[in-house]
Amino acid sequence: MRLGLALAEFREAEMARLAQAHGLFGVLAGSGNPLTAINAAVYASTATEFVRVVTHVRLGLVHPVTMAEELSVLDNVNNGRTIVLADTGDLDPASAADEIAVLREALSSRPIQHDGPRWKVPAGLPANTTAPPSISVTPKPAQLEIPFWLTGSAARDVHEAAGLPVLARETRPIDRPKLVEPGLTAITGNMKADRDHVTQWAAAGVSHLMLELPVDADLAEIMTMVSRYLAPEVLMPHFPRVMSDSRIPLPWPGDGVT
Amino acid sequence: MVAVSAFRQRTPVLLTGEVSMRFGVGLFSLQCTAMQPAHWAGAYRDMREYATLMEELGYDELWLSEHHFFYDGYCPALLPAAASVLSVTERLRVGTGMLLLPMQDPQRLDAVARDLATRSGGRLDLGVGMGYRDIEFDGHGVSRKDRLPRMVRGLEVLEASEAAGGPPLWMGAQLIDPVKRAGLRGHPILFSAALPLERCRTLAKVWESGWVEAGRPLASKPPLGALRNIWLTEDPKEREAARDWVRASYVQYAGLGWTLPAVGEHEQADFAMETDKAIADTVETTITGSAEECVRRLREFEAIGIGHIAFRLMLDGAPRRALESQIRRLARELMPHLRDRVAA
Repeated sequence: MRLGLALAEFREAEMARLAQAHGLFGVLAGSGNPLTAINAAVYASTATEFVRVVTHVRLGLVHPVTMAEELSVLDNVNNGRTIVLADTGDLDPASAADEIAVLREALSSRPIQHDGPRWKVPAGLPANTTAPPSISVTPKPAQLEIPFWLTGSAARDVHEAAGLPVLARETRPIDRPKLVEPGLTAITGNMKADRDHVTQWAAAGVSHLMLELPVDADLAEIMTMVSRYLAPEVLMPHFPRVMSDSRIPLPWPGDGVT
Repeated sequence: MVAVSAFRQRTPVLLTGEVSMRFGVGLFSLQCTAMQPAHWAGAYRDMREYATLMEELGYDELWLSEHHFFYDGYCPALLPAAASVLSVTERLRVGTGMLLLPMQDPQRLDAVARDLATRSGGRLDLGVGMGYRDIEFDGHGVSRKDRLPRMVRGLEVLEASEAAGGPPLWMGAQLIDPVKRAGLRGHPILFSAALPLERCRTLAKVWESGWVEAGRPLASKPPLGALRNIWLTEDPKEREAARDWVRASYVQYAGLGWTLPAVGEHEQADFAMETDKAIADTVETTITGSAEECVRRLREFEAIGIGHIAFRLMLDGAPRRALESQIRRLARELMPHLRDRVAA
């Protein structure tokens, strides 16, 4: 299992840099405010080079073509590191599934011509006389296909229909053991308790676990704990703790001396 | 009387000691065209690098441009693109020139723009326009016939936000009525680079009449803005290349179906139906020559109330080394001469 970091609002760049420096696979941006999630994700993106940027967007707040365009720009800003965490929000399962279908079609490398229970794209409105029957959202994402994860009250139903993973918020046996299964949990800063906690998540079969840090945590200190004690623990079965518990190697003489 | 926005009351432009002109580069549209193929992610990276260079060189503004569903990836989402520049700079302002307001939910747009303004220390300028392509309205489920009422409703939301400290508004318009409306509402215009000086002069007067008609003192009017095709060089071969890059960049607008309608005695430029003529006429707006000549030509814009000049340098076919060289040269040899005056 790999670990990621849930970012606090307005601290995205700083925390994403730390997540990358500590070798985490990705960061979760935008959970603080669904309206401004893409701003948060852009700030995390330009501060980093390698980490995946999981972007928490809520469905039903904007036309899905607009959302697809924003996500595609984001994916080009971060050169293909975007993952969408789609929150079904207030939508019923059929509407949520339709909106996700539009998003995924719009982000594909094909033109879109969609007629579903919630959306018709293009709309084919009479006044738009020169509009063609299909459109192509551009730019295309930098990656072949932006991964979608689900959360929210309709997530389970959409999962059934679309086969997309649902973000787990509690440990439970997962039903897709060979595929990506994301999770989100809080840690406390207590090394022993947190080590046991993430180990339980790994045992449940989650593949990518985003960590929420305590609000008042010393970032440098807790990230050192995450990368030194938690991440190795879940990266291989039966991790020999002697490697985490050993003394830190000496620095290059003069480094860190002002 | 229509109130001058809170932003402009807070930050009067004409203060003794303040430089008289502000300079930017545009339009960053993030296109990867048939004539200049590239990777889109590279275009976004390049924009961030241009932005940091511009900031180092003392530029004030970077301007973005929006279209939708076009083969070359013409940027369809300006606020994420603006965020990417604002996140890697500290002083440079970023303007949307223009964001197509009728296609947006104004409440959401306002929330996103205010968030970005907060994150960037107030460096976002929100320029809005109407849009003109049926395909773009239809793709977003909006009827083109509703674009004016949607524009007005959107402006009301954004004006209330600006009055409460939100991002300052700009407008894009080329015709008498919309320019007058912008003046009445108190929003500065960023004129297209395709407008010759005389047409800018006509429209600046129209804008000014709207400003005054709304009961505002003439002396309090903000400077307007203009994109300008410009290439500072005395080398005939470089001049020829630059003018050809201007030509190529307007071929893209022919593909988009853009038309510059007639205004008074200023005739229409129809890029779709009279492509060669419209493009050739527009290339003639290009300012080239020595620094002295370029300064002289830009002073003519300053004289009609234009205080923001955005050099239109992101031209189809122009290699990056040429653009960087021109960005440096304009900063070194032209901008200081136009910053030498202070407002009375």
